[in-house]
Amino acid sequence: MAFRISSSPHVRKDTATQAVMQKVILAALPGLAVQCYFFGWGSFIQVLLAIAVALGAEAAVLKLRGRTIKETLNDQSAILTALLIGVALPPLAPWYLVVIGTIFAIVIVKQLYGGLGQNLFNPAMAAYVLLLVSFPVLMTTWAAPLGLGADNAGFVDALKVIFSGVGAPAFALGIDGVSMATPLDTLKTDLSMGLTATESLQKPIFGGSSTGEGWVWVNLAYLAGGIYLLASKTIRWHISTGLLGALFVCSLVGFALSPDTHASPLFNLFSGATMLAAFFIATDPVTAATSRRGRLLFGALIGVLIYVIRTFGGYPDGVAFAVLLANLCAPLIDYYIKPRAYGHRGHS
Amino acid sequence: MLTLLEQLDKGTLWKIPGGIHPPEMKSLSNASSIARLPLFDEYLLPLPQVGEQASLAVSVGEQVLKGQSLTRGAGHSYLPVHAPTSGTVIAIEPRPSNHASALPVLTLVLKSDGKDDWCTLEGANSDGANTKSVSSEGVNAEKVDIASLSRELILSRIQQAGIAGMGGAAFPSHIKLSPASEIELVIVNGVECEPYITADDRLMREHADDIIAGLEIIHKLLAPKRLIIAIEDNKPAAAEAMGAALNRSHLPAGTARVTQIPTKYPSGGEKQLIQIITGKEVPSGAIPAQLGIVVHNVGTLFAIRDAVVFGKPLIERVVTVTGNTVSKPGNYWVPIGTRVTDVLTYCDFQSEPSQKIIMGGPMMGYALPESKVPILKGSNCILVPASDEIGEMPAEKPCIRCGECAVACPASLLPQQLFWHAKAEEYDKAESYNLKDCIECGCCSYVCPSDIPLVEYYRVAKAAIRHDAEEKRKAERAKVRFEARIARLEEEKNAREAKAREAAEKRKASMVGNEKDAIAAALARVQAKKAAKDDGAVSGVAADGAGAGASVGLSAAVSAGVNNTAATPADAATTAADPKAGVAAAIARAKAKKAAAQAEAGESSAQDQASTDMAAERSTEARADVNPEPSAAQDPKKAAIAAAVARAKAKKAAAQGLSSASDAQTSDAPAIDQAIETGAEDSASNNSDENNANAAATVTPEGKEDPKKAAIAAAVARAKAKKAAKAAQNDGVDAPAADTQDNADAAEKNVTDIAESAGTDGAESAGTDAKASETLTPADAKKAAVAAAVAKAKAKKAAQAQAQASNLQQAEDNEHSSSQRDAQLAQSDNAAEAADVSEIADIDVSNVSNVPDAADGAVAENAAPQADQAQDAEQDSKKARIATAVAKAKAKKAAREQE
Amino acid sequence: MSGIMIAVILLGLLALVFGAILGFAAVKFKVEGNPLADQVEALLPQTQCGQCGYPGCRPYAEAIVGGDKVNKCPPGGVATMEKIAELMGVEPEPLSATTEQQVKKVAYIREDECIGCTKCIQACPVDAIVGAGKLMHTVIAQDCTGCDLCVEPCPVDCIDMIPVTQDLRSWNWKLSAIPVTQLEEEKPC
Repeated sequence: MAFRISSSPHVRKDTATQAVMQKVILAALPGLAVQCYFFGWGSFIQVLLAIAVALGAEAAVLKLRGRTIKETLNDQSAILTALLIGVALPPLAPWYLVVIGTIFAIVIVKQLYGGLGQNLFNPAMAAYVLLLVSFPVLMTTWAAPLGLGADNAGFVDALKVIFSGVGAPAFALGIDGVSMATPLDTLKTDLSMGLTATESLQKPIFGGSSTGEGWVWVNLAYLAGGIYLLASKTIRWHISTGLLGALFVCSLVGFALSPDTHASPLFNLFSGATMLAAFFIATDPVTAATSRRGRLLFGALIGVLIYVIRTFGGYPDGVAFAVLLANLCAPLIDYYIKPRAYGHRGHS
Repeated sequence: MLTLLEQLDKGTLWKIPGGIHPPEMKSLSNASSIARLPLFDEYLLPLPQVGEQASLAVSVGEQVLKGQSLTRGAGHSYLPVHAPTSGTVIAIEPRPSNHASALPVLTLVLKSDGKDDWCTLEGANSDGANTKSVSSEGVNAEKVDIASLSRELILSRIQQAGIAGMGGAAFPSHIKLSPASEIELVIVNGVECEPYITADDRLMREHADDIIAGLEIIHKLLAPKRLIIAIEDNKPAAAEAMGAALNRSHLPAGTARVTQIPTKYPSGGEKQLIQIITGKEVPSGAIPAQLGIVVHNVGTLFAIRDAVVFGKPLIERVVTVTGNTVSKPGNYWVPIGTRVTDVLTYCDFQSEPSQKIIMGGPMMGYALPESKVPILKGSNCILVPASDEIGEMPAEKPCIRCGECAVACPASLLPQQLFWHAKAEEYDKAESYNLKDCIECGCCSYVCPSDIPLVEYYRVAKAAIRHDAEEKRKAERAKVRFEARIARLEEEKNAREAKAREAAEKRKASMVGNEKDAIAAALARVQAKKAAKDDGAVSGVAADGAGAGASVGLSAAVSAGVNNTAATPADAATTAADPKAGVAAAIARAKAKKAAAQAEAGESSAQDQASTDMAAERSTEARADVNPEPSAAQDPKKAAIAAAVARAKAKKAAAQGLSSASDAQTSDAPAIDQAIETGAEDSASNNSDENNANAAATVTPEGKEDPKKAAIAAAVARAKAKKAAKAAQNDGVDAPAADTQDNADAAEKNVTDIAESAGTDGAESAGTDAKASETLTPADAKKAAVAAAVAKAKAKKAAQAQAQASNLQQAEDNEHSSSQRDAQLAQSDNAAEAADVSEIADIDVSNVSNVPDAADGAVAENAAPQADQAQDAEQDSKKARIATAVAKAKAKKAAREQE
Repeated sequence: MSGIMIAVILLGLLALVFGAILGFAAVKFKVEGNPLADQVEALLPQTQCGQCGYPGCRPYAEAIVGGDKVNKCPPGGVATMEKIAELMGVEPEPLSATTEQQVKKVAYIREDECIGCTKCIQACPVDAIVGAGKLMHTVIAQDCTGCDLCVEPCPVDCIDMIPVTQDLRSWNWKLSAIPVTQLEEEKPC
């Protein structure tokens, strides 16, 4: 009689990588929906396109690497990466941006480093930065929020714009009011032109809410998704809290010192990709620090970097750069911040 | 700030980091009371300590009674093994162990006789001894009053009962109960945090009073300030029962309490429990006793009470049998040593395909590869889950560094970092992440979304680290020992050299007084050299290795009146063994006599001195070699071997006697005093040696009667033969040295004749010895084996002889060059030095590579075919030896002629 | 011309100064022994078996530092060779001897065949054999490095090299390595 042997523990909690990924994707959907509501169907199309490209690219690479394709695709990490790229890109950006970005993210940033769990950088953010430095104009031209410009691009219009560029002029830069810079971009430009923050915030893009029309809702939706993730213990609070806390403190200090040249803390928290970064991007465990204190520090580092880049840097939003820089620091943080193991109190 | 005691009294609890809440599954087995099993046929009792601290007290076939101790031992950590029932010991052999590896361990197999008769229990009343289950009859039995027992007695009873920690680790309890430091707090572990297991729960519910009685014993032993019984809050019935029993107990009020702790795995881990109860952490690598805390399992307390009150050894324990493949899950009193398969069969176990049998709980238990293994003292659960209950482990997926494992880790480690390093086999890095503090609780694996068997990686890594550390330690030890050996050899060499130097100085000192003689000697030597050249052929033959036996023969001849007491026995032995040898010896003797008479005329005192010194030196060396190591002293065959040693000494002494005797006869006036002194000393030592030799002679025949002894005797004889051969070589070198000197001093070519005959005699007697060893063996039962050994030894010797033959040439060369120098310097002590040089050259056997020396080229060629022949002639070793001897002789001759 | 002279003098002075500094440093910071050899020696298994052709591990370590090959240590196996190669910055090479030596062994003397010749005692590099002339010898298994050196000198060939078996304490926890034994002929449980 031979018996099966295996190592203890013999019971496992019913969680799987796939389930984790699914929950994160699920939690990001409200944000996507709100984004689509304010900026048209573009984001949705970008997401779908990114997912298709991501799955294709990953399957191809896995085949080349001689790995099992089905099981690996099943973990849905590629879908999550694609989703994040999709929502981060301007809704009406041409199709090749998302294709290039996704392929770069999946093939180079993720698989060439060894696949899931091995990559040093957050694939979505690496792709975003690649696109940002390669196509600066296209990447900083965002669709006008609902109610500010002409009617939102419909699904078909959005498809047309994205895939053929036809009609692009109609939705092009600011004057037509269909597509325009983001509030962060506007504020930055205005500040550099000598306007005070208060004056800048009078502009229609901020919609009187002093955070930017529509953006506050997008951020709130992502916040809601993040809270769901926290509640379901899919992510832990350390990174998000560190990020938001640091961003808040920094902008509060800046705002208190010089209200004219700095945006308010609330503006910083609820504009741009702040909430998306705090709950969906920075919390990518693969590229984050591992210990609890390390993660707090990791999040805070991102928060500080976001604020610094937004305030002093050349780019309107610094999430992608901040995350990549923090990714670089993660091994260092892990090296220096280790939890005190049981029985090591007082010594060592 | 409250003190710890106050907080303990308040019931303050601390939180541990991490931990998980797996499904408890306890209701499967905790509903029914603890049942008894029928007697099974066979019980397996592993004897892990036998061969270390313990020895067997019974043998195969012996009848044993229930509770009888099967081992004997005395060590501090010794734990006896007791028979769980009465029956017959049918085997003591390696059997699969109750371990994840199922590696076989020495196991006593007990066949039950079905009577289950108790042995007489020490310290128990007769009722207790005859009752089949002492544990179940509780307070009715006449208890031994605990208060009347001394501390030592209690501890020894606990040890003699073989009580080991029953929580799983099975650490001897008496050690835990006699700590070096003062104990302030005793924690009773009734937590039982593992899913499925309910053994302690049921025990607490049913035997709370007995457990508390055990606690009273511990209180008496350790006198702690507080005793805390910790029970998880999912066992309210157990907590209630324990609380009630505590109220009935005799423990001082306020010292003991039941504390319910929140249900969380792994609260029952010793370190975690201490942290929950006291907030303290056991320092890494330390034991709780260093904090003044000990933790005992409730099962252990129960066993302690049984042992101390009734003298009943630990031979059964409560085991939870559970899982969906048994139809009678529950808790059972299972005798230690019961086979797992028997228990399962009794519980109607229905095996599924690829069934798992887990010893212990699902979190930390190990899967058994084999079910015919015994229940041990630490086995608390047999879990046989159905496949829908605990299924196949899903395949390992890549780590996404989610950090859930770090959150769940109760030891605050970083499991994923440990995993990376363990997987990459970077064990030093894994160690730097405190791998050794991992308690293998399995929380990390439990929560891992990628289904990585983290604990398995850690175990492999830990085993590898342990192995590496062991290797390192061994390497270090080997190095130390190697260096010690080198140092020892160096020291011995230095000591030898120092002695040689001393001797040389002594010679020099005596030289000052005899300068005239020295000059005369030098002149004589020059003449001698001329003579030697003429007489090359003869002296060449003389160079042949002269055996110790030969020296004996010579000594007998030369010193007939003076010293023959020592020589005669050995000589007689030779003669008896081989008539031919006897004839040869006689010839040798005759020649020797002639030589001695002639040598008498021109022996110089300096030379005498030199040879005496040399002989003395050699004999000391030989003695050092032969000196048995202390460890040998215990051997019963000591006598025979000591005798052999003595014999060897006698021979050496005889050799020594030869030189001193000839000194005595032939010395000049200046040296006469000294010579007499030496002679006296020698004869004294010879007398004692003779006694030894006689003893040897008497021991050897005795040895014949015993086959083993005979074998040894044969071996001794063989070794002797070898030594003789070796001595022959040594002497062969020495003798020519003496030759040269003799030539120089006496200008007598007849001396070479002596040496020649000595050589022949040596060869003969060496052969005789070898033969004698053969004649000893026929009666022997082990004849064949020994004969084979002899043959082998001979073959080896032949090969050796070849090597030495060539070696000898070299020695010879050295010697001659130095003797030439001698002649020029007219310093007779240089000759002695030369002898030393040649001796050293001979000792340096490993230096064989130097043999094909340019000067010896022709000689080596000459010798090589002979040597080859020697190798071929394995069957006829005698022939081979003679051939080698001839080769040697020829080599020497050639060397001399070349010179 | 004077320019050349100045240059020559200056350079000469500089050379002197640097020479003095170097000389001083050579004396002041002289390292006793060879630290690299120490490191290499620490990696060697200390079996002192001499299979590398050197009398002991230390001489081989020194030889490696002196440029000898790193693959001459069969008892250390591939792992040791790789570590030394890494330390020395050379390419790992396949082991020169056969790889069968990988299994750790200890010597065992069949005591009833031993004639007490002490030859193995003299051969043992770590003094792990006890016994005296004409007395049976035995191997201290704990101290035996498995170097094989005692096997050859034995005149009666009574020394065996026995592979070290795993016991429960030294088990490596590699579950997949457990041979699954089929005991079907007995009654199934």
